[in-house]
Amino acid sequence: MRLRRHSPRRRLGLRARLTLTYALGAALLSAFLAVTTFGLTRENLVKQHEDTAVQSAFSNAEYVVLRGRDPNTSLESLIGSLPTREGAQLVIENGDTWSSKNPVEFDRDALPQSLRDQVAAGNPASMRFVHDGDPYVAVGVPITASGVATAYFEAVSLAEAQRTLENLAITLIGASAITTMAGGLLGWWASRRALAPLLDVGTAAEAIAGGRLDTRLTVGDDPDLDVLAVPFNHMAQALEDRVDRDARFASEVSHELRSPLMTLAASVEVLENSREEMPDRAQTALDLLSADVDRFQQLVEDLLEISRFDAGAIKLHLEEVLVAEMVIQAVSVLGGGGVPVRYDDEVSTVVVRVDKRRFARVLANLLDNADKYAGGATSVNIELLGDVVQISIEDEGNGVAEGEREVIFDRFSRGSEGGNRASDSGVGLGLALVDEHMRLHNGRVWVEGRRDHHSGARFVVELPVMPLPSPEEVELDEQSAPETPDSAVPAEEEVSP
Amino acid sequence: MAVEDDERIRTAVKMALEDEGWTVEEADNGEDALESFNRHPTDVVLIDIMLPGIDGFEVCRSIRRSSDVPIVMVTARADTHDVVAGLEAGADDYLTKPFAPKELSARIRALLRRARTTDPAIAHLKFGDLEIIPDEGMVLRDGSEVHLTKTEFRLLVELASSPGRVFSREVLLERVWGYGYFGDGRLVDVHIRRLRTKIEADPANPRHVVTVRGLGYKLQT
Repeated sequence: MRLRRHSPRRRLGLRARLTLTYALGAALLSAFLAVTTFGLTRENLVKQHEDTAVQSAFSNAEYVVLRGRDPNTSLESLIGSLPTREGAQLVIENGDTWSSKNPVEFDRDALPQSLRDQVAAGNPASMRFVHDGDPYVAVGVPITASGVATAYFEAVSLAEAQRTLENLAITLIGASAITTMAGGLLGWWASRRALAPLLDVGTAAEAIAGGRLDTRLTVGDDPDLDVLAVPFNHMAQALEDRVDRDARFASEVSHELRSPLMTLAASVEVLENSREEMPDRAQTALDLLSADVDRFQQLVEDLLEISRFDAGAIKLHLEEVLVAEMVIQAVSVLGGGGVPVRYDDEVSTVVVRVDKRRFARVLANLLDNADKYAGGATSVNIELLGDVVQISIEDEGNGVAEGEREVIFDRFSRGSEGGNRASDSGVGLGLALVDEHMRLHNGRVWVEGRRDHHSGARFVVELPVMPLPSPEEVELDEQSAPETPDSAVPAEEEVSP
Repeated sequence: MAVEDDERIRTAVKMALEDEGWTVEEADNGEDALESFNRHPTDVVLIDIMLPGIDGFEVCRSIRRSSDVPIVMVTARADTHDVVAGLEAGADDYLTKPFAPKELSARIRALLRRARTTDPAIAHLKFGDLEIIPDEGMVLRDGSEVHLTKTEFRLLVELASSPGRVFSREVLLERVWGYGYFGDGRLVDVHIRRLRTKIEADPANPRHVVTVRGLGYKLQT
């Protein structure tokens, strides 16, 4: 049973989504604050300038009215006597003539026509406009009582305020960006905190998958997380019980099957000791019995071994050994004495970590396979390829068809040759066991065509190479060994898959 | 003597061993085995671990208290702790059911072989507080005799034949037990451990029989 989430589309991860949400929230909030701040500041700043301009304009207009009563006063002297403020432009108008405090930068035409029209109509007015690329606010006051002037205008440059606002905008944008990032970081951190228990669950599940079946999650730290931890622990317990039961069952089956086999093996041997005294027919029957007792014994061994794999009850007895020496020994012990073992000089010092007797079974099964289906192995080659060593067993049979190269490692599969059972053919567990053993050794096995393109199969087993200790290290070990209390057993350990 | 509770196995193994030329005493439980052992002179004891009543380990330990007779243990499974437990209880070797009685016969012969003392130079060896007299099958520590089983003794003499030389487990398995390359290294490890408890002043910090990591064992001179 596999539980799936509803969305068929690929979605962002939980953490990415949380981080994004936090960042987005921070961005929105900071943008809102920035825009508000900017708007308020701008209004205040411009209003302030405007107010100052209006105040100054009215007081100046009053002055113009006072001084304008004297007919000897010209527009020029009138405007010259007015106090000046930084950034303020003053213009006095009288009908068609006018005078400006700073006629080069700012003359009457710089003022917007609509403002002048309104003032000419007798209404004081203020207006914002742009002159020479700079923003201004201008105030116009109509003068009726004076003989010299009819209107007074004062324009104040807002350039300074504009620059202040630009700086403020940059600062606010920067602050928003920082806030957004901070929000994102907070989201990332918070999601990590929130997901930490999930990581624990993942680690625990990984540990269980790795064979440490007694792994449990801590319950009681946090009631919210117990919702996950309690069922998880129940699952782990059920799994452990199940594996224990399987292992016990395998052990009992093992004992129950081996006992009668023991009797059979011993009895057959007794019979074989007196084979010569038997009539021919009985001898033939004894040979059949003997061969099938062997076969049955092998079948039981293979079945028990494979059930141990399934129960996860295999314990490897790992040792560091020279691969070339081990292969030569195995081939000669297994009766493949005539099969040449070839390897280069560089291979002779290669060390691998294996369960020697299980690895001998791997080679035995492969040699056996060659015997049964291809008339025997023709050569065993050992090659070093970077950090792996490959041991290949070649034969001169019909080879293995492309489509069957994976299938033959399945249990009880025999390939197309399966029909031609020789009288002592196996039961199709041999290669499956090879596959399981290699996986347990962190290696792999496969079959391919022969390299020289002759007919025949090439079974390859691949093992990781152990790095060689340097000579100094060996020396050091030798000296330190007597002092080391845990040196009771040479480098060796038991592992379960 | 064969101690086995399954009558069919006992009978078949007995017949096969008799064909190999051995005389076999039978026992179907631990109590009978110990009683029979005390009555008959016995060269080798073959014990099934799973016995009703006193189990194989206990029989092993009881026999060891009074005798250094070679003991071969029979187990239904080789990859359990039974093997190490059996060896620690004092067994010299083990076999996994089903075994060929011819193989058992070969194992027994290997166990009964005397320690090799062909070299007269090692008639008397002394390593610090340890003295080995191979001809008399005697080992002395601080002048007093240490009681070793035949297998432990042969293991020690083998190591002492070239003091300082590193013996790999394969070599020791072949010379002491008669196994080939694919023998069980645990046999050597457990026997070395047992040997140390007898001849070392502090077995946790061995001074005589030392481990050479990744290579094997040697006798320190």
